[in-house]
Amino acid sequence: MAVNQPPQLATKLLRWFCKPQYLEDIQGDLEEEFYDRIELNPNRSSSGWYWWQIVKLFRSGIIRPFKPIDSTQKEISMFKNYIKIGLRNLWKYKMGTVINVLGLSTGVAAFVLIALFIKDELKYDRHHENADNIYRLTIKNFTSEGALSRHWAFASAGHAERFKEDYPEVIKATRFYPWAFPDLLVGDRKFPAEQVIFTDPDVFDMFTFPFIEGSPETAFNTEQSLVLTETSAIRLFGNDWQTEGVIGERVTLQRDGLNAPFTVSGVMKDMPEHQHFHFEYLAPIRFIEQVFGESSMSNVTGNYNWLTYLMLQEGTNPVAIENQKDAFFDKYVGQFAQGGDAKDYYDFALQPLKSIHLHSNLESEIETNGSIQQVYIFGTVAILLLIVACINYMNLATSHFSRRMKEVGVRKVLGALRSTLVKQFLTEAFLVNILSFPIALILAELALPHLNDFMGKSLSLGFAGNMDLLIGLLLLLVLVAVFSGSYPSIFLSRINLTQALKGESTINSNKWNFRNWLVTFQYAVTIALIFALAVIESQLYFVQNSDPGYNKEQLVSVGLSRNIGNLTTFKNELLNHPNVEKAAYASRIPTGRLADSWGASFNQGDSVASVNFRLPFIWVDDDFLETFQIELVAGSNFSADMDMIEDSVGYYLINETTSKALGYDNPNDIIGQKINYGNYDDQTFKAGRILGVTRDFHFESMHTSITPMIMMKGDNMRTICLKLTGDDHSQTLADIESLWYEFDQDNTLNYRFVDDRFNEQYQSEMRLSTMIKVFTSIAILIGCLGLIGMVAFIIETKNKEIGIRKVLGASAGDIAINIGYRFGILIVIATVVAIPCTFLIVSDWLDSFVYRTSITIWMIMLPAMVVILVTVLSVGIQTIKAALVNPAVILKTE
Amino acid sequence: MKDYQLGEFEEIVLLTVAILHGDAYGVSIKRDIEERLQRTVSVGALQTALRRMEDKDYLHSTFGESTAKRGGKRKRYFEITDLGKQALAYSKETRNQMWNAIPKTVFEFSWL
Repeated sequence: MAVNQPPQLATKLLRWFCKPQYLEDIQGDLEEEFYDRIELNPNRSSSGWYWWQIVKLFRSGIIRPFKPIDSTQKEISMFKNYIKIGLRNLWKYKMGTVINVLGLSTGVAAFVLIALFIKDELKYDRHHENADNIYRLTIKNFTSEGALSRHWAFASAGHAERFKEDYPEVIKATRFYPWAFPDLLVGDRKFPAEQVIFTDPDVFDMFTFPFIEGSPETAFNTEQSLVLTETSAIRLFGNDWQTEGVIGERVTLQRDGLNAPFTVSGVMKDMPEHQHFHFEYLAPIRFIEQVFGESSMSNVTGNYNWLTYLMLQEGTNPVAIENQKDAFFDKYVGQFAQGGDAKDYYDFALQPLKSIHLHSNLESEIETNGSIQQVYIFGTVAILLLIVACINYMNLATSHFSRRMKEVGVRKVLGALRSTLVKQFLTEAFLVNILSFPIALILAELALPHLNDFMGKSLSLGFAGNMDLLIGLLLLLVLVAVFSGSYPSIFLSRINLTQALKGESTINSNKWNFRNWLVTFQYAVTIALIFALAVIESQLYFVQNSDPGYNKEQLVSVGLSRNIGNLTTFKNELLNHPNVEKAAYASRIPTGRLADSWGASFNQGDSVASVNFRLPFIWVDDDFLETFQIELVAGSNFSADMDMIEDSVGYYLINETTSKALGYDNPNDIIGQKINYGNYDDQTFKAGRILGVTRDFHFESMHTSITPMIMMKGDNMRTICLKLTGDDHSQTLADIESLWYEFDQDNTLNYRFVDDRFNEQYQSEMRLSTMIKVFTSIAILIGCLGLIGMVAFIIETKNKEIGIRKVLGASAGDIAINIGYRFGILIVIATVVAIPCTFLIVSDWLDSFVYRTSITIWMIMLPAMVVILVTVLSVGIQTIKAALVNPAVILKTE
Repeated sequence: MKDYQLGEFEEIVLLTVAILHGDAYGVSIKRDIEERLQRTVSVGALQTALRRMEDKDYLHSTFGESTAKRGGKRKRYFEITDLGKQALAYSKETRNQMWNAIPKTVFEFSWL
């Protein structure tokens, strides 16, 4: 009778909590008494009693420990066994271990380095407490057609103040104005051309600049205060500036005959590396206002030299400010004298401080910024390389499955569950990773100085006080170990018990299995990288070897200083040197930017029409065209007797693009036409005639198209370019340097070869190319290792087949083809997948150039061919070796 | 002198094991205590006391025979060890000493 039995559930409960060694007799006692009670009084229910007894047994002394000591110990001893067997296997198959460790450590090292780089790039400007509410005011210029012509990182002098006054959301505003590098005098020592930045007092409320001496509150107490940084304090006052006390010291600013005594009011810490600007001297802008006068300080159009930052009220949407644009320009400018509403020509955009470093690449950035595109590319490549390295491990670990087949069989017979085997093979993956990580770190440490040098960074792998790095690496270790161990453990634990013990091969290598996908993925990554590299290299070759329209060879540009008084004498002295063939002054030279632009109007017959496109200018002298070997297609060059300053009539050279833009497809027809050009505000506007038309040349880099430009003869020169002859340039330059010191004792000679400047325009592309080269090499290296493993696997499974084929008359070559053809299929699939994906990214990258190479069929074929070559090399030897074995040796072991 | 820790219930259980000499297992001990002292004993309390004293080496246990009523589960027989006997003796000794230390008048007074 079911009623007369102890309740099962209660028994179960007892069984669950009772110490196993007590269970039998306690349960027996309970049952005995239970039946005794029923015998004594059959009508009474004893179930309640039974329950109650069991509930009362639930007390310490009877309850078993929550963590079963036994099973933990069992696990530990099993793990000891896994580790022991794992280490034995690693030791036994040294070659496989070396390949595994090499592959993993290279992949991990690349990943760690890229991760460090990206982390560093993302760190910029985040240390400012108000970083979230600070925006940079940038200005957009439009042509009269409404097209964006320039987007400036700087604003005009009057913007900051007006924004702060007009919009309550703008709570702080500051400008940074680098005023023309004055000389600094401390006692009788002179420090020429220091970058003193004039700024608004709000600066210390907005940005977090920690002070070593003085305080932000007292920094700008007087109009002639000067805040130093540690570096500039050391420069001016020596290493023991802190003990001597520099607060209150006198520093005199000298420039253009102006002598202004300044007082040191504070010393800040050096601006951190992760900031998009670095200044060493800060002084109050009020001083500059007096020098410039009120009117020029209220300017809100043009003269973009004032780096401007606004701090908005917490929670303000910057778009709300941007939307005020029309009202702003209507209020402060209205209509231009020559017609047109100012609001149609200008706009402003607010850039969040934290996004400037990676997202901003505007006209005249204060320092070269990073690029988010680069971060994405590197990040993707890092992850791909890591996956490729993991795949490598998977391939190698599973390829030698037959070595472990019997072990797995025996373990299964002895009661190993599948989960136990999974644990075992995961443990082995951990072992290999624990071996690889230190090597990866050593590799990374060795490569780090090169990366730093190359990227201009100061990354470090220091663990001291860097818990993030340590935790990150541990997480990475676990992630990589689990990921790389996942497939081998599933694969190996799946091996069928009886077949494993019988020694039969259970895996059919002909089947299209998961491993093929893994290898295809490796191929795809390699093909993608090679393809990208081919496109980048071809574009670099294109821009560096196509004719820029001027001759950049043997050309040196020398930056002028204020101390060079008489330009004519200086030039003649230079030309006296036998190895200086030509010399020309210019305000800006090709490889630079066409940043200066004025207004223009053009006389078409009797009517005068204002020029509705941006027409930038440079100042040049008579020898400019000849020195740069820029061809004239029509008209003539300036001659010595023409003088823009003195003559009542101006003379202008234009390029072909300007001629076409003005409606003259034949440049000969525009010669002698009247053009008015100049700065309306400054009254330098000058009527003149077009003297000559030059062939188009790439003044700016090939990222941008050739724009209209105008050349004027003038005296506002910043550079002199020298065409050198002879072989010994270093001697020539030494002579030029000594000549320089006759004219200027304060400044050092600052020269650059124009072809260096030319190449520097493509510096970021060259860096990208080099990095991709490194990545590609790593991918190929790891891929080769993986292939070797894969082929070993196939040969192992096809040993008998090879033997039988040979007996039936196949040659070694036939067998090699038989094994190798499958890789052909994989390569084709990988190519078909990788090329279109990469094409999207690469063509996006190519779009940053206006003048670009076209993607040819060769670039698509090349990666596949490289991969085939690599495959043939790494597969061929093993295959031939396998094919050459005497079939009798293989076939007799049945 | 070694400190013999013995609770009241523990002492009763220990004495009962000694009384049942050779036939002391869970059910018999429980029944004996219940009959002799007219109090109910829960299996939980009894087992805890038994195991605790086994840990203290006052008791020693061995598996015995099984019966059908127990569903084939063996009995666990308990035996008092020498240490257990000493503990009982010590307990009795201390009680006696304490009894003897009570002035006679206390009882006389109470008899009144």
